[in-house]
Amino acid sequence: MNLMTFSKYLPYIFEGSLWSLGLVLGGLGIGFAIGVTFSLIQVYGNPLLKRLISLYVWFFRGTPLIVQLFLFHWSIFPALGIKSTALTTSITVLGLRSGAYQSQIFRGAIGSIEETQMLAARALGMSNWDAISSIILPQALRIAIPQISNEYSIILKDSAICFILGVMELMTRAKYAAIATGIALIPYLIAGLIYLVLTYIGTMFFNLIYLKMRIPDSMEG
Amino acid sequence: MSFWDEFLSKLYPGALTTLQLLAVTIPSSIILGIFIGFLRVYGGKIGKTLANLYVYIFRGFPLLVTLMIMFFGLADIGIRLTPYWAAALAIIVCSSAYQSEYVRMSILSIDEGQSLAARSLGMRRSAEILYIILPQALRIALPGIGNEVIYMILYSSLAYVVGVNEIFSVAISVNSIWFKPTEVFLTTALIYLAMTTTASYGLKKLERKLWIPGFETGVRR
Amino acid sequence: MSDEIVLRVKDLCKRYGDKAVLRGVSFEVERGEVKVIMGPSGTGKTTLLKCIDMLVKPDSGKIWLEDLELTDPRTDVSEARRKIGFVFQEFNLFHHLTAIKNVMIGLTKVKKLPKDEARAIAERSLLKVHIDRELWDRYPAQLSGGQKQRVAIARALAMEPTIMLYDEPTSALDPQLTREVLEVIKELAEDEMTSLIVTHEVNFASEVADEIMIMMDGRIVERGDPRSIIYDPRREETRRFFNKIVKIGDELR
Repeated sequence: MNLMTFSKYLPYIFEGSLWSLGLVLGGLGIGFAIGVTFSLIQVYGNPLLKRLISLYVWFFRGTPLIVQLFLFHWSIFPALGIKSTALTTSITVLGLRSGAYQSQIFRGAIGSIEETQMLAARALGMSNWDAISSIILPQALRIAIPQISNEYSIILKDSAICFILGVMELMTRAKYAAIATGIALIPYLIAGLIYLVLTYIGTMFFNLIYLKMRIPDSMEG
Repeated sequence: MSFWDEFLSKLYPGALTTLQLLAVTIPSSIILGIFIGFLRVYGGKIGKTLANLYVYIFRGFPLLVTLMIMFFGLADIGIRLTPYWAAALAIIVCSSAYQSEYVRMSILSIDEGQSLAARSLGMRRSAEILYIILPQALRIALPGIGNEVIYMILYSSLAYVVGVNEIFSVAISVNSIWFKPTEVFLTTALIYLAMTTTASYGLKKLERKLWIPGFETGVRR
Repeated sequence: MSDEIVLRVKDLCKRYGDKAVLRGVSFEVERGEVKVIMGPSGTGKTTLLKCIDMLVKPDSGKIWLEDLELTDPRTDVSEARRKIGFVFQEFNLFHHLTAIKNVMIGLTKVKKLPKDEARAIAERSLLKVHIDRELWDRYPAQLSGGQKQRVAIARALAMEPTIMLYDEPTSALDPQLTREVLEVIKELAEDEMTSLIVTHEVNFASEVADEIMIMMDGRIVERGDPRSIIYDPRREETRRFFNKIVKIGDELR
C-alpha cells in the first residue's frame, strides 16, 4: 500500500508496452493493406464497389471503437463460428477501423497527383496498371507518410480502449497495479508517460522515413 | 417486460445523459481550444510554453488514461469528482488540446499582410486579433473543429468506464441481463451512427453558411 | 501648397542581420506636396515606408509627423497610425469583409464612430475612388486587382489621414488595371492630398510629383523636380536607371 510495494509493479506495467505496440503495429498493418486496396478501388473501381466501401468507411468512422470491439467479440465472431481471443479481436477491429481512415488518406493522396501523373504515364504508353503501380502509388504513399504518422499516434491511444476486452496491454496493467497497490494516480501517470514516449518514438521514426523518401525540392509537404 | 421494451425504456435516460454530456463538453472544449490556440501564437514566452506543455500532455495521453486520472487518480489526492464531471473534464481537456492545434495552424496560415493592414489603420493588437484574425482563423479551423465534435460524440462512450449512465453503459447492463449481444450492440452502433451522421450534416451546412468567396478552408485531420 | 511640414525623416537607418537596408535617409514632405521615390528594386524603398508608419522599427533616426515624434518610445504609435494612410503593394484587403465593410472597419473599431456615420464616410470614400455601389457588397475575392487596390485606397482615405503612403501601388497589377489606380492617386494628389509614393511608373511620376527622390543602396542619391531628374539627371547611376526603365516602358506602350 505504499511506494515500496509499488516499485514491484513497474516492470509489470512496462511489459504492457510490448502488447500495446503489438496491437498498434497489427492494427496499422491491417489498416494499411485495407486502406491502400480500398483507396485504389475508390479512385479506379466500379460504382458498386465504391458504394460498398463508402458504407464501410461510414460505419467504422461513425461508431465508437468500444462498441465495435464488443460487437465483433460477442456478436459477429461467434456468429461466424470464429473463436477469437481478446488480442485477435482487438487487432482485427483496430485494423478494420484504421483501414477506413487510411483508405481516405490514400484516396486523398492519390487524388492530389492523379490527373497530371496519369496523363503523363499514358502519354508514355503505359497501361493503367503499370501507371498506377510504378508512378502513382509510390508517390501517393510518400505524400501520405505524415498522415500515417498521425494515424499511428491515434491507434496507439485507441489501443488503450482494448483493455475492456482484457488484453494485457499498458492500460489493463496500470489498472491492476492500481487495484493491487491502492494507489491510482501513479500507475496511470506512468502509463500515460509511456504512451507519450511511444508516440514520440513512433513519430520520430515516421519523420525519418519521410525525410529519407522525400524528393529534394519537390512540392510535397 | 419484453426485451425491446426494457432496452428502449432504459436507452431513453441513457441517451439524455449522453446528450447532456455533449452539451457540456462540446462548447467548453471549443472555447478552451480557441483560447489555447491563440495563447500558443500570441502568448509570449510564458503563455506559449505553458500552452504547448498542456497540448503535449493532453494530446499524448490517451483519453482513457486522462479519464482514469480524473476520476481515480485525483481521488488519491483528495479531489473527488463525480463520474459525470470526471468524464466531462477529461473529454474537454483532451479535445481542447487537439482543437488548439487546428486553431493554431489556421492562425499561422493567415498572411502577414492582414496584420500589417490592421495595424496601419491604427488597430491595437487586441482589435487586430478580435476583428481580423479571429473571424478568419475560425473559418479556416472549422473543418478540423467539426472533426473533433464527431470524435467527442464517439468518445462519450468511454464515460461508461467511470460509471456514467450513458448510452453504452445502458447497452452493457441490458446485455448482461438479456444476453442478446447482436441486438444490443448493433442497435447501439446504429444510434451512434445516427448521431455522428446528423452532426456531420449539420457541420456541412454550417460550413456552407459561413463560406465566403475566395476563402480557403482546408485544415486536414 | 503651404510651407507647413507634415512629415520629417532624419537619418533613418535599418539593417536586417548584416545587411544594411537604410543607411541614413533624410527628407521632408510639406502639406499638399506629392513626393515620389524611385530606384532599383531591393534598395529599401518599402522598408522606408514601413518604418515611417512604424510597422517596422527603425534602428536609428527620427521621424516626425507634424509635431509628434513617432520614434519617441513614449509615443502611442497605434494612435498616430490613424493619421497615416498606407496603401500596400499586395492590397491586403481583409478577406472576410465586403468592400464597404473593409472601408468601415477602421472607422467603427478604431475611431469608434457610430455605424451610420461610418457607413456614410465609407460610401463617400468609395465613390471618390470610383467604386460604384454595386461593388460595395462584394468580397475581395470577387473584385479585380484594380478594384481591390482602389478599395484599399478608399479604406486608408476614410480615416482622413494627414499623409498617404503608397508602396508600389500598381506593381502587382496588370498594365490595363494599373491605369485606373494611377488615375485615382493622381486625382487625390491634385486634390491637395499630401502623398509619398514609391513607384516604377515614370510617366505617372513625371505628371504627379512635385519632387522625385532617387534611392540607391539605402540612401537618397539625387532629388529634384521631375523634368530635370528624368531627362537630365546629375548622376550617372540615375541616368542609367532611367534609361533602363524608360526603354522597357517604351516597349510596353
